[in-house]
Amino acid sequence: MKNIDEISARVREGDRIDRDEALDLYLHAPTALLGELADRVRARKHPARIVSYIIDRNVNYTNVCVARCNFCAFYRPVGSMEGYVLGFEEIFRKIDETIELGGGQLLLQGGHNPDLPLEWYEDLFRAVKARYPDFRLHALSPPEVIHITRMSRLTVPQVIERLVAAGLDSIPGGGAEILVDRVRKLLNCYNKATADEWLDVMRHAHRAGLRTTATMMYGHVESVDERLEHMFRLRDLQDEMGGFTAFITWSYQPEHTELGGFEATGLEYLHTLAIARIVLDNFDNLQASWVTQGGKVGQLSLAFGANDMGSVMIEENVVRAAGASYCMDETEIVRNIESAGFTPKRRNMHYEILGDPVFRERDVPRMLELAVARAEGDDSRPPEIVRYAARSAQEKKLRS
Amino acid sequence: MTPQQLIDTPDLIAAGVAGDEVRRRMHGTKTTFNRVFEVHVDAPPAALPARVNAGEFRIVGKPSTLDALTAAVRATAALAGEVPVTVFSVFDLLSLPQSIRVVAAAIKEAGASALVHLPIDRVENAELVAQDVRAADLIILSLGVDDLDDNNRLALCEMAGTLQSRAGGFKAFAPLPRKMSVTKPTTGYDDVRMVALARVVAQNIESIQVDWALYGPKLAQVALTVGANDLDNVAAEDPGVLGTRRSPLEEVKRNITAASLEPAERDGLFNPR
Repeated sequence: MKNIDEISARVREGDRIDRDEALDLYLHAPTALLGELADRVRARKHPARIVSYIIDRNVNYTNVCVARCNFCAFYRPVGSMEGYVLGFEEIFRKIDETIELGGGQLLLQGGHNPDLPLEWYEDLFRAVKARYPDFRLHALSPPEVIHITRMSRLTVPQVIERLVAAGLDSIPGGGAEILVDRVRKLLNCYNKATADEWLDVMRHAHRAGLRTTATMMYGHVESVDERLEHMFRLRDLQDEMGGFTAFITWSYQPEHTELGGFEATGLEYLHTLAIARIVLDNFDNLQASWVTQGGKVGQLSLAFGANDMGSVMIEENVVRAAGASYCMDETEIVRNIESAGFTPKRRNMHYEILGDPVFRERDVPRMLELAVARAEGDDSRPPEIVRYAARSAQEKKLRS
Repeated sequence: MTPQQLIDTPDLIAAGVAGDEVRRRMHGTKTTFNRVFEVHVDAPPAALPARVNAGEFRIVGKPSTLDALTAAVRATAALAGEVPVTVFSVFDLLSLPQSIRVVAAAIKEAGASALVHLPIDRVENAELVAQDVRAADLIILSLGVDDLDDNNRLALCEMAGTLQSRAGGFKAFAPLPRKMSVTKPTTGYDDVRMVALARVVAQNIESIQVDWALYGPKLAQVALTVGANDLDNVAAEDPGVLGTRRSPLEEVKRNITAASLEPAERDGLFNPR
């Protein structure tokens, strides 16, 4: 084991650390030292003390999923009475609300629904772009892209090319969990995407000129060393492609999941974030996950390496299903940024600064609770769904 | 770092270290916690619910009359056995028509061991109130804060220290506000600074306390690394259907241990359990 002081000195000098050094820091450095080192890295990358955020909406177009990850409380199996698919008109309504709040993007992700073929996504994206030409679609995490390749029998580059042609602007880094196949098998998410497959989708996306984010969900069955393996695989790909805009980590949310267990602590989140800031020296941005940690620890993330408060979100379904239901509207995000001594700026998905807070330019209604995908008891089916060939026996039976 | 620098510095880590240094000098890694069973003054239970393992039975709520309060104390004391019974908070008792000395004597006679939470931002003449309570052979365990704004942080911490010097006997100071605005709650930075400030300024009070139920495990755990050494109001339920690992006891121990600290359970009177 190297001396923590030696490793810390190297971080302060701006040197890159290796995996053994990162492990030593993670396991042995005190909280305050991790915070100090991570804050130095943040300050080097963002000396103007700007903390950014985005106004967008987190829309889950379907909760029907064949992946059956055991850490997920959101999905419903094919044929479930609680399964849903959002209609195009419903998604347009959500976009209208997002624009009203000053947003310009949807983060669009959903389950691996066998009854939504590639054409459904293409038609949706084209329809959105036709109605809202400047609106951005940050959509379809790598496992969703892989799911579409399997259904369409096309390659990853072919699917990405078609989705981009239809209007896809960027790809979110969801579904990474821990990029170690031993862990993925235990989480029952190996089949939705292996670690190599997840990274390969991102590689192809970057080659196609798309920017993407990267994520990590920790605190379930993985070891600390495996968290670092995850980070170092991301660092390697970023060295190779340079296409990641940001890294976002959060703790596994155990409520109502098959896997169960308990949530990692707040300090573990801050330690993990700080280590990520130190290790991922080629990532420009680290987001705070207030949606899983709450506003208070979310804000404390700014002292542990984060330079971005993430999204106003407007709507959230996945984490809420697993027990976390925090809310921060733009006013609250800005208040937290300023109270921590930083300057808040709105950004887009490419982390380009768009301007000052919208609510200071015009009246924006306060939002004290995040919306959900659809109202309780709403079991309507979108009319356009019948235009697409059903693949599951349950859907075929329903239509007959 | 002076108290004012601690408030002003943008370096939150340095502020936290200042609080932690005092905390470690006073307590090392030892971190106390207290499991509390709350009883509303208007609805004391007829029998003890299953799976309750409390270090304190705490009567909460604003009493309508002294008789109602003493009845609740008697009913709770009958359930509590050897476990201390306390009444929360001093401010609520001041709304009764009787003097605080009369109220304190009556609830002492009914079986209460102590009062909890004297909000120093709301109780005028707190020193006199503390003296009156002590004259009735009852103690006030903790000082606290109900409302906090950006301008009264240092003043409140200094007030707590001064009150301890003059009246004495307070075991803990809970510096985080009990009332939180829905639209403008205190931020994580606010809370960390306040805990660190309280620890640095009020060194004549043994414990800096955070309410586990009110502030939640994440913020409470962070507070333990910046000056706090006591977690109050942990739920008093033993393992239920979710199993031992998810019981409140295991959760609080897990959070303390994960902060590289040593958990030590206490009762409502700050005696080890």
